[in-house]
Amino acid sequence: MEYQNQLKLQSYLDEELPEDEAREVANWLARDQEAVALLTELRQTRQAVTGFEDGIRLPESREFFWSKIEREIQRQEAHTKEQAPRIPWALRFRRFLMPATGLAVLALLALVVTREGGGSASDSSVETALEDSGAFTYHDDSAGATLVWLSYPADNEGADNDDWDSLE
Amino acid sequence: MRASQNGDMGAFEELVARHRDKIYARAYSMMRNEEEAVDLSQEAWVKGWQRLRQFQGDSSFGTWMTRIVINLCLDQLRKHKRQRTESIEEMTEESGGVERHMPVVTINPTAGLERGELRQRIDRALGQLSHEHRTVLVLHEFQELEYKEIAKVMGCSIGTVMSRLFYARRKMAALLADLRKEDSK
Repeated sequence: MEYQNQLKLQSYLDEELPEDEAREVANWLARDQEAVALLTELRQTRQAVTGFEDGIRLPESREFFWSKIEREIQRQEAHTKEQAPRIPWALRFRRFLMPATGLAVLALLALVVTREGGGSASDSSVETALEDSGAFTYHDDSAGATLVWLSYPADNEGADNDDWDSLE
Repeated sequence: MRASQNGDMGAFEELVARHRDKIYARAYSMMRNEEEAVDLSQEAWVKGWQRLRQFQGDSSFGTWMTRIVINLCLDQLRKHKRQRTESIEEMTEESGGVERHMPVVTINPTAGLERGELRQRIDRALGQLSHEHRTVLVLHEFQELEYKEIAKVMGCSIGTVMSRLFYARRKMAALLADLRKEDSK
């Protein structure tokens, strides 16, 4: 018997054949004893194997097995919690930093436009708030707003970025 | 189930107690090693707890859990395979396809056997299959997957699944017949 036909018999047994092919195989079985014998062997093996797992029992007591699972769950959860605080707060809020920066820029632009459009020079002033600090204060009387501008990065900004790279 | 999904460990312990034999049995069928099967089924339960919220109830909880343990077993078997050379049996299959020419076993080799004895013989015969053949057999007969589903799980073609399943069944029939002959001597 050809190998393809042998596999077709198996597919017939496993109900994996389309209806028309299954009909063809049924007709073939009606006139070929060799095919019937092979199909019988395959079916007997399938039946013998079925139910094999039913008699298998975990060789550990309920309490002992569960205690191992519980301990592993707790160990992994503790490990996850340990990892969490190591992430700098700035990284956790990173997703908000970009839109917040955008909003700040827009607010600054709005102030500048307001000033150039109608406000008099006397309504606003720019000054360095602290000597040699790189911080500027912009005050607009007409808008009733004060803006503090820090022109250099914070001292620990670079360290935060290093942490982020290593975490990634 | 709902209580477990809400973090109730007591409720989860009940689920473990109810399904632990089935999950272990699936791991044992695939690994054929008690110690590894215990470790993998334990790992499956830990993963099950961690992913419990993802369980939607599309299948039974038992089926969902057996999928987890099967995946763990497949990973483990892949690791084993990387560590060892091909077995003679696998080489024979690749080179000639001996299953095509095996004589048909005409007498049912397991007829009249008691349940325990039958299980013992199946166990011995399963142990003589390569892990690829055993896995296909387990996924088809115990997990009741279709050919295409097995192909997806094992990362091979449907044709390979069909030929592996055919080989596994024919080899099992021959082994069971040999065991019967041995017994009758």
